[in-house]
Amino acid sequence: MTDIFYSLVFYLIALVIIASALGVVMEKNLVHSALLMTACFIGVGMLYIYLDAEFLGAAQFMLYSGGVAILAVMAVMLIKHGDEGPRDGGNGRALRAIAVASAFALVIGMIITALPYAPAGYISQDNVSELAEMMLTEYVLPFEIAAILLLSALIGAIILAKGDGEA
Amino acid sequence: MTVGLTHCLLLAAVLFAIGLYGLLSKKSIIAVLMSIELMLNAVNINFIAFNRFTNVSDLTGQLMAIFSIAVGVAEVAVGLALAYRMFHEHGTVNVDELNNMKG
Repeated sequence: MTDIFYSLVFYLIALVIIASALGVVMEKNLVHSALLMTACFIGVGMLYIYLDAEFLGAAQFMLYSGGVAILAVMAVMLIKHGDEGPRDGGNGRALRAIAVASAFALVIGMIITALPYAPAGYISQDNVSELAEMMLTEYVLPFEIAAILLLSALIGAIILAKGDGEA
Repeated sequence: MTVGLTHCLLLAAVLFAIGLYGLLSKKSIIAVLMSIELMLNAVNINFIAFNRFTNVSDLTGQLMAIFSIAVGVAEVAVGLALAYRMFHEHGTVNVDELNNMKG
């Protein structure tokens, strides 16, 4: 009984993710797209928690469904948009994009289902402290590099947005 | 059937394919950036699913996902600033009209 419930929750989360992701790419209005993207990120965060990655789930909620979504909505509001018609190449382009995307999904899906894998698993007892321990011992160099990357991205974004001569 | 690695990987593949479709068909550069974000999230799902369902003994996969999220957020900040700059210089964010570098 708990097994069925466990599967049901997964399919519900998957439905939220796929439906809102489809909404993002189908929607003509960019504000709607951005809000559906938030819904999709919330779904992904729920999936992280479902997969016993509590810290990642919290980070997803704060960074993606909080930060990135607000940034995207701000950008949409700052920029005036023309008509959201098909791209150069007319409707053929959209059809080719659908063909490429479904071919990709088909090939990857076939590989995944053909993949033999022995059911095993690892669940951390204390997610946050184990991650913190790894981050500050074995993986301290990537951690510092990520800090430098974020700082330079921040400065780069400010300089780009201000423009020549104003900075 | 209980949920395992295959389910999560299939979900991530579908999410990635949806992002790929948006990347190829959308006209506004902001919509293209949003599609790239969907693809990044699909990859992060893979990291965490492999960490959860395969024979490992620590949380390396989740740690990689954290670094991947950091890179993704940096990318979106710079990308949206670039889009804003493009709109200032050219008055458009339509990727078909941004062809200054075309020979």
